[in-house]
Amino acid sequence: MNKRKLMNKISVITAMLMSFSAFSEMVAITNTTVYTGTDKGILVGVNVVLEDGKIVAFNPPSLEVDRTVDGQGRILTPGFIASLNQLGLIEVGAVKTSRDEKPKKGGAGFDASTAFNPETSLIPFARKGGITHSVVTPGYNSELFSGLTFNVELSSKFDSVETVGSSVVAYFGGSSSDSRASNFNELAATFDAQVKKMAKDDSKDDGKEPTVDETAINRVLAKEIPLIAYASRPSDILQLIKLKEKYGIKLAIAGASGAVKVKQQLAKANVTVIIGGVDNLPGDFDSLDSSLKNAGELDLAGVKVIFANSDSHLIKNLRFEAGNAISYGMSVQGALAALTKNPASIFGFKGGTVEVGQPANLVLWSGDPFEISSKVEMLWIEGNETSTDSRQDKLRERYISTSGKREAYIK
Amino acid sequence: MRRIAFGFTAAALAVVAGCTGNAPQDPKVEINPNPYPSTYQVKSKLTILIKGATVLTGTGERFDNADVLIEDGKISAVGENIEHGSATIVNGRGKWVTPGIIDVHSHLGAYPSPSVESHQDGNEMTNPVTAEVWVEHSIWPQDPGFNAARAGGITSLQILPGSGNLIGGRGVTLKNVPAPTMQAMKFPDAPYGLKMACGENPKRVYGSRKDAPMTRMGNMAGYRMAFAEAVEYKRSWDKYERDYEAGLNPEAPARNIQMDTLQGVLEGDIKIHNHCYKAEEMAMMVDMSKEFGYSAGTFHHAIEAYKIGGLLAENNLCAAMWPDWWGFKMEAYDMIPENAAVVDSFKNSCAIIHSDSDTTIQRLNQEAAKVMYRAKEQGFDIDEAKAITWITANAAKSLGIDDQTGTLESGKQADVVIWNKNPFSVYAKAEKVFVDGDKVFDLHDEKYQAVSDFMLGQQ
Repeated sequence: MNKRKLMNKISVITAMLMSFSAFSEMVAITNTTVYTGTDKGILVGVNVVLEDGKIVAFNPPSLEVDRTVDGQGRILTPGFIASLNQLGLIEVGAVKTSRDEKPKKGGAGFDASTAFNPETSLIPFARKGGITHSVVTPGYNSELFSGLTFNVELSSKFDSVETVGSSVVAYFGGSSSDSRASNFNELAATFDAQVKKMAKDDSKDDGKEPTVDETAINRVLAKEIPLIAYASRPSDILQLIKLKEKYGIKLAIAGASGAVKVKQQLAKANVTVIIGGVDNLPGDFDSLDSSLKNAGELDLAGVKVIFANSDSHLIKNLRFEAGNAISYGMSVQGALAALTKNPASIFGFKGGTVEVGQPANLVLWSGDPFEISSKVEMLWIEGNETSTDSRQDKLRERYISTSGKREAYIK
Repeated sequence: MRRIAFGFTAAALAVVAGCTGNAPQDPKVEINPNPYPSTYQVKSKLTILIKGATVLTGTGERFDNADVLIEDGKISAVGENIEHGSATIVNGRGKWVTPGIIDVHSHLGAYPSPSVESHQDGNEMTNPVTAEVWVEHSIWPQDPGFNAARAGGITSLQILPGSGNLIGGRGVTLKNVPAPTMQAMKFPDAPYGLKMACGENPKRVYGSRKDAPMTRMGNMAGYRMAFAEAVEYKRSWDKYERDYEAGLNPEAPARNIQMDTLQGVLEGDIKIHNHCYKAEEMAMMVDMSKEFGYSAGTFHHAIEAYKIGGLLAENNLCAAMWPDWWGFKMEAYDMIPENAAVVDSFKNSCAIIHSDSDTTIQRLNQEAAKVMYRAKEQGFDIDEAKAITWITANAAKSLGIDDQTGTLESGKQADVVIWNKNPFSVYAKAEKVFVDGDKVFDLHDEKYQAVSDFMLGQQ
């Protein structure tokens, strides 16, 4: 290996990716190919201006800015949003004291956001995949409800949590300890009880404050936040659509390998599906319909699709799941929406598109954002240019060094 | 392993008895090294000429606009302007051709889909040393994962037992053809593998039961006691052989199925495949192999191989790696995406990308691409011709089948993939897959898309 050549490259790249705040600066990213994520589609040769964390102009008549970044015709996308992982709640899977995703006693209102660690080593690594935001979910706890999701930005700053309680997560389908009917029944009973209580509260205040679990359910019933229902078998998904219609809630189906069989019903009921882009094996009898073609078929049927990968350490690979879905028939715009606009819409993020007035959550790519050969050139979170350097880079540089020093002195 | 055939033994017996005039010898006790032999057969050996493709040979070379001739189940020729009177011509324009992809680390069939309680057959966690179990006895050939892997270009794969034990049992190498029995998939003449595991898994499994091993030093003690016993076992059989050949009538040692396998390792017939993440542990496994006289073989999940690339290369050892799995255990915390490229940069190295997954086995080309591109960004001198060796030739070397497959050299088995484009693209797909010159998958022809019994007729 030519180590000297290697080190030169490294220093160039490190300098290029060095983070510096641009908060009050006005910055222009010139000559970019913008994947807007809106009806405007892809725009070529655009100068995008950022100020105060927002996109403030497309192609202004004059570029009077503090700083210019030459886009060199490269692709600019919205920052990608990872969904339904445990980012910031798990450092190392097998180290219990580094895991905070599962409570001893959960419930619809369990909120894990106070346990979120913005300094986790997983976040810089995730940024290498163009991820700027994530929906973090409590872990499955063998109960119907695992709790509330919360929304974070991947800035590594202490104020990273943007929204506490962005959805309520519940689990349906085959179980080793109970009939799957029990969870449908329990959900209906929980909703019925709250509907009844709320009706009573309207006429007479009994002075009792609702519990955190009741509050979470009330928010779902009030359509403030969606119910995220893990389910795979087509018949289970239809049961959930029925419940959605009965109670008038917002619903997304996660897992959803059987969604393709009931895609018309999902589209009609405006139910989003959250799937893995490369899940294609029948892991159990609920998921016999798993296929690489599902994302494309759902998208074509007008169902909103979100790509999610529960492996928090590898959410940087979400863009490749989108790429694989594209190669099996999904549209590029559909795949982009599945990592940007669609999760933003269901989980209540601002942005998810590149438009004037939207938060400047942006990624400038070296090439096709879904292709393995491409990498993140620059990344902005709320207008702040943010580095993708990670602990992995430090380890690599330490062990390919030709300095002759003991490795431990190379920092 | 004892490789002497039964027929030979009977003849030898007669000669020995006749010559010496001593008391007649009892029939010589022999151990059949291959009691579950391969019944694999090629259905039809096609004669195919792929014209005008980009060819990655697996030997580190790339030919543009080249032809590949497949005849009689073998690679017949690779080069420019090859002609053949009767071959079926495949237009290779715009296509890429590579050797069949080989995964050295799979649990397909032993941990199949559906992953239900009746199907957990990969980890005999009843004793930390279970060299006596053979994972081929667990394989369910109807695992739909075999078909999915074939659609990703996998033509050969090693199925291994899990990593709950220090010594988990024998692995088996398969040809990835659909068949109703394991034997009909079994790669003829491939050596057996032996699964070993370092680190967290065995000490957690047994330590949590207050059994040995509870610590990493307990792990080392466990392997060493097993191999010390194997050395004695081998010695007893060697003595039996010697005495018998000398015309004596020795009593054969008691057969020990567990020790048979470790003896096979000591005799070089069974290759070690060691789940071992950490630099310091791999270094000790190398020393231990020298202590008892065998090769440490291939380190799998070698997350920290980049810290000791020189040591591995000096000892002629392979490292099988993921591009990016990490963080699920402490021993997987120090992952770097360029790991395989660093290992590969040493002379005489053997870097491999493996899956350990029914999902990523379908895209080992993309797994290798992740390493290639991340390493190129850091200035490593790596291209497609080199990176393809991580999932073909080097994998074949690790499994001991490199004399038969893993490259597109003349005379090798015609295990070949035709890709619709550069296989290092996220959009690449295997269009046609050949095993021994027989077409076993075609992306555009349902006739060549196998469906497992399990999926057949499901609504």
